[in-house]
Amino acid sequence: MASVNIENLDKKYGALSVLHSLNLTVADGKFVVLLGPSGCGKSTLLRMIAGLESISAGEVQFDGVRVNEVHAKDRNIAMVFQNYALYAHMSVRKNMAFSMRLRKVDKKVINEKVEWAASILGLDSYLDRLPKELSGGQRQRVAMGRAIVRDPDVFLFDEPLSNLDAKLRVQMRTEIKELHQRLKTTTIYVTHDQIEAMTMADEVVIMRDGYIEQSGSPMMIYDNPNNLFVAQFIGSPGMNVLRCTVVEQDGRLLAQHEDQILALPADANVTAGQVIYYGIRPEHLEPVKLGEGEGAVGGAQAHIRVVEPTGPEIHLYASLAGQEICCISRTRTQWQPDEPIVVTPDLEHVHLFDVETENAITPNH
Amino acid sequence: MTSRRTWLPNWLTSEHPLPWLFPVTSLLLVFGLYPVLYSLWLSFFKRNPATRIEKFEPSWNWSKLLADDRVWDAVQVTFTYAGIALFLQLALGMAIALLLDSDKRGFGVLRALMTLPLVVPPAVTGMMFLLMYDSSFGVISNSLYALNILSPENPILGTGSTALWGVIVADVWQWTPFMVLIMLAGLRALPREPFEAASIDGASSFQSFIFLTLPMMSKIIALAVLIRGIDLFRIYDYVKVMTDSGPGTATETLTAYAGTVYFKSANFPYASAVALATLLLVLVTSTIFIKLFKVRF
Repeated sequence: MASVNIENLDKKYGALSVLHSLNLTVADGKFVVLLGPSGCGKSTLLRMIAGLESISAGEVQFDGVRVNEVHAKDRNIAMVFQNYALYAHMSVRKNMAFSMRLRKVDKKVINEKVEWAASILGLDSYLDRLPKELSGGQRQRVAMGRAIVRDPDVFLFDEPLSNLDAKLRVQMRTEIKELHQRLKTTTIYVTHDQIEAMTMADEVVIMRDGYIEQSGSPMMIYDNPNNLFVAQFIGSPGMNVLRCTVVEQDGRLLAQHEDQILALPADANVTAGQVIYYGIRPEHLEPVKLGEGEGAVGGAQAHIRVVEPTGPEIHLYASLAGQEICCISRTRTQWQPDEPIVVTPDLEHVHLFDVETENAITPNH
Repeated sequence: MTSRRTWLPNWLTSEHPLPWLFPVTSLLLVFGLYPVLYSLWLSFFKRNPATRIEKFEPSWNWSKLLADDRVWDAVQVTFTYAGIALFLQLALGMAIALLLDSDKRGFGVLRALMTLPLVVPPAVTGMMFLLMYDSSFGVISNSLYALNILSPENPILGTGSTALWGVIVADVWQWTPFMVLIMLAGLRALPREPFEAASIDGASSFQSFIFLTLPMMSKIIALAVLIRGIDLFRIYDYVKVMTDSGPGTATETLTAYAGTVYFKSANFPYASAVALATLLLVLVTSTIFIKLFKVRF
């Protein structure tokens, strides 16, 4: 096992710069997820750690030792690819044994290892099949088996679940997490799926356009996004963002979006007249039917457009002064489209962002 | 979706391909099958060269063929020629294709240049090499003399032990690019990920080639061997132009012998039998190969 250090890492393709002086530390045994939209450079970063892409500047270190010049085959890493990258002409057994065969490991040891991996992954009865005779999920397991028989220092996953159907994806997500809890090998996992990132990671690293926007534990990032991009990228349904002007009424600061007024947290670090983005997650925006409740303070009026019952809760998509918002109702109220409602933000969970920099406005303390 | 062409009669639609295949099928029948059947018919006659009288005697030419030492020599020469040329073309073709398989600048031009030998007519290639082998001014001969590998007393094409090699070199020069083209097409279509996975699994480039490239290319290699193999069995032009089967019969292949019997001895029935024997040999060899390597078209 090993820790992985990224220091001032740059990647350039000719004049095009795709990674800009990245710094990242992955502690030994941690499960770190690189998350970002496609084209953000997360796969490139992973492939540089693997040794499949050259490093334009900066350093990749394993356990503090520079590995820039170390060939992929000598880094003692294992990688699982998006399209599995199995050896199509080899049986499942040979696929998994390949790395050990190359290192001239004893045949008995190879067999033990392969059977151990196969039993963990439920592949026992498929060992003599060819990849083309397996389903997508089974192929993915073979790719993982090929990785775990190695006892690698670091596991690298490059969007391993994106070719699977939704149900299988959830199942494999759990399996990968269990596997990590059992093996405790340092893992770096690339995905564009924020739910995968949230559910699996010890630490999430959010990337955009070759920069790291924020990193930290999933819940920390969810509760304290650094900027508007992170706030909107994490969470499903996404955070509501309203462009508001701060107004002063009766000595209180409020946020005004068109003709609607929303309350601001008491410690909001804003001044009257300032234009801000007002962010509130759907579960922190409580809907009540207009006229019901006690005319909640700081609530704004909206019209329901679509009602989406999910089972545990009901998602309401509504229009607030022309802006689409989403709020979540956990009561069994009969919501109707076109119904007027009042939505009240939970002031504990309001996020404010500067309109220029899009960075979070930290509250006064 | 394309709409059904209603003006087309039903039997001319794509569900009925036979009418469309009729023109090419009839050409094949006329210029392919008919000559073969006629040769077979012809081979059943015994020809008296002096009287030029042909008499129906079905077994005559075929038993003569089996007892003819020159035929067996020719079979040996043909197999030697085809085997060596095929091996060289395959090995060189694969090696050159591996070198040319790159997206770097200039490689497109290199790939195009490499196909140039294919546009030279084989007879012209033969003439070219004939000149280069010439013991007084040929560039190849003189280079080999200068390096003391050969001596002027034994001209390449005039010496029994080297003449076949001389012809093979011309064949290899002309047809290696064809192998390169097929191999390149195969190499360029290989997926990249298994090779990356292998390099992470610890494979050197040589190990990747042995364990991944070769098995993944096996179908294409088999097809290339089949196409070139059949072609090599038909070798006629280089031998005809460069050595005319000589010295003696050192470079006499089956087709060359059939040509000699036909054009020089004018023994048409026996020439037919020799030619048909060549066809039979190609059929048997290629069928065994197809079965053995499970080639699919």
